[in-house]
Amino acid sequence: MRPAVAQYYPGDSVVHRLDARAKFVAVSALAIALFLRDSFAGLAVFAAAGVVAYVLSGVPAAWFWRAFRPLLWLVGLTFLAQVLFAPGEPFFSFWIFHFSWAGLQFAAFLSLRLVVLVLIGSVLTLTTPPLALTDGLAWLGRPLRRLRVPTDELALMVTIALRFIPTLLVELDQIMRAQRARGADFGSGGPIKRARALVPVLTPLFVLSFRRADELALAMEARCYRPGIVRTRLHPLEAGAADAVLLILTAAVIVAGMLV
Amino acid sequence: MTDTTHGMTLACRGVSFSYEEARAPIPALRDVGFELGAGRSLALLGASGSGKSTLLQVVKGLDAPEAGEVLLDGSGSADAGYAELRRQVGLVFQTPELQLFAASAREDVAFGPRRLGWPEADVSAAVDEALELVGLPPEQFGGRHPYALSGGEQRRLALAGVLAMRPRLLLLDEPFVSLDPATRRELSRILSRLRAGGVTLVLATHDVDLAWALCDELLVLDAGRVAAAGPWDVGEAGRELLAASRLREPFLVELWRRLGRDPATAPRTTAAAAEALR
Repeated sequence: MRPAVAQYYPGDSVVHRLDARAKFVAVSALAIALFLRDSFAGLAVFAAAGVVAYVLSGVPAAWFWRAFRPLLWLVGLTFLAQVLFAPGEPFFSFWIFHFSWAGLQFAAFLSLRLVVLVLIGSVLTLTTPPLALTDGLAWLGRPLRRLRVPTDELALMVTIALRFIPTLLVELDQIMRAQRARGADFGSGGPIKRARALVPVLTPLFVLSFRRADELALAMEARCYRPGIVRTRLHPLEAGAADAVLLILTAAVIVAGMLV
Repeated sequence: MTDTTHGMTLACRGVSFSYEEARAPIPALRDVGFELGAGRSLALLGASGSGKSTLLQVVKGLDAPEAGEVLLDGSGSADAGYAELRRQVGLVFQTPELQLFAASAREDVAFGPRRLGWPEADVSAAVDEALELVGLPPEQFGGRHPYALSGGEQRRLALAGVLAMRPRLLLLDEPFVSLDPATRRELSRILSRLRAGGVTLVLATHDVDLAWALCDELLVLDAGRVAAAGPWDVGEAGRELLAASRLREPFLVELWRRLGRDPATAPRTTAAAAEALR
């Protein structure tokens, strides 16, 4: 199956073993620093950190590339939008578009920044199982519980949604195959025809999903799930020395990136 | 309109297929070969995960084999008219009732024939015929909402959706799963009627008794390879082979063996057995 955008790649690298919370904090801090800094040199420092982390993760380049490819459109669009409309002394004009060195430079900078952001973010999602990620987020969001934000329940909802994405994809595939076996054609015709062709697929998929949601809710109640109760965990999150090293290294990278 | 009185011949030659996964492709079929004559019926047996569903989907053409070829009426995918032959292959998925979508039983059954581009009068006739065949008379069930039917009725409606396209080769993936005994009997009657009508049948199932009652030949898959193909072997070797695939021999074969009779003469139905034992 084609990996969705930066889908988790099972592994046992140093990066995989880091605690989800530490990774999330490090990536968030790097992302913020990335947007505060506006020089190519700073960008290079953050990019280098991202590349090192990616190489350490041991995720095959093909897996990363297939996940990254759809985002190239976004990068390309960003570049175009900036290069065509950025102010500056034009060296070439065409109709309402003016190309300037400053605009070109700015566009290149913005697109590169986006690439680095995706790279850093991908290392997080490629090496952290979605469940660990939501658990980590729930932990980080705990102070919000004082404000009566149901963080654990929200985390559970996200966990369940993530858990069922692969299941739904398998079911979607089965239904599409079955309707193709009955002569359905999903690949041709205009947008309206294509949208109509999806009715025989989406109707059963929704019916199935509602039925499953209903059964899941019953099963959870039968196993004594009640919202608002703090649960213990089978696999508690454990931060270790490696995570402290990660945070110190991240701080060092940020300082370096801001100063160069 | 296609000729429904003559079944299609099916042959697989060296068919291999793997599913792509993150780390390495998972082989599902390895060098599968067999032949099935027109109007014959084949029981496709094997443990879960042995490749039965994959084989059916490759035969229908939903997946292209990596190696080897599927011959329909002797034609391969490179021959002219293969697309038309492939349209005459009907595939009933496992739990096909999960794929019902239209607002009425009639509309759902008409989906396939309409995709074939038949004139509306032919579509209507095919729908009536198919609903009648599966025991859901159109005047009574045609206007009902598919989701308002019982589980067994939904299964039969989904079967009608495939039969309405007048397949000459019908592939069924575990059609008896999670049906109550009455519906199983009903479904097995429908299948034997189709068989009598000359349609070539391939029946993937874990139910050896129904396979014994309905099928002339068997094909046992084990981890994607053909473990046995041809007429039923009711001897010791055949019994061991089925046991290796986590199956048992058909009840009537066992009964005949325990009665000290030649298992090769075991009857196919309980009615025939009762007649022989009277």
